[in-house]
Amino acid sequence: MDRGIVESKHGVFGILDVRGEVDLSWSQELRGAVLKALQQHDALAVRLAAVDYIDSSGIAALVEGFQQARGKQQPFILLTPSPSVRAVLELARLDRVFQIREHLD
Amino acid sequence: MSAPALLRYRFAARAEALADMRHALKSSLKAKAVSDAEITRLVLAVDEAASNIIRHAYRQCTPGEIELTLTRVRGKLRFRLRDYAPPVDSKCVKPRNLDECRPGGLGINLIDDIMDRWRLRALKKRCGNVLVMFKRLTQVRVSSRSKHGSRDR
Repeated sequence: MDRGIVESKHGVFGILDVRGEVDLSWSQELRGAVLKALQQHDALAVRLAAVDYIDSSGIAALVEGFQQARGKQQPFILLTPSPSVRAVLELARLDRVFQIREHLD
Repeated sequence: MSAPALLRYRFAARAEALADMRHALKSSLKAKAVSDAEITRLVLAVDEAASNIIRHAYRQCTPGEIELTLTRVRGKLRFRLRDYAPPVDSKCVKPRNLDECRPGGLGINLIDDIMDRWRLRALKKRCGNVLVMFKRLTQVRVSSRSKHGSRDR
């Protein structure tokens, strides 16, 4: 299965490009990558354009990152969520909680 | 006589087996002319239910199996998930308050939102539990004689 996380940097933002289906089998890896990136960067953007599927465990990883970032007043952005990610965020009423953007700039 | 199954899928109660289950279910729903948007939601609900069985019902037990059966019952789709885990107290299976922003516990909310109704039953004499979820779909090429579902919770 084609899935993974690639980390890059853009200004003060660390960027995590996530691809594939995020489910119970590897959401802990996403959680770990988000929490680690928050320690390494002043701000974090998680790009979800190539995420075909996300379940509640993947959403939980993002919520944990969001909470950690908020505690340290770090910007935490979800970039270009795919339609399926957006649908789950809406179902969980988290589309009003996360900062969601189409572009970083 | 019970309705013929549109899908019977038996899989290991392991997180790594969920993707294949989702794809099998997706193919089966596609063949029944369910819309793509509805398929996305239904597959999510079934996946959340299976994930809960793996995480909370089987827990530390030796990994077992889950059987998914999809049938058409009086104009509704019926998703049945049977496991062989220790009995689960259905009173403990509740949605959480979505106004609280915290990680975890969203699965039941998603199932609740997507399905018309569901019920969880622990099997008395045999080990295991049965979760049955119903969804009435106007997009499905089935009889529309049934009434709207009511929630069992």
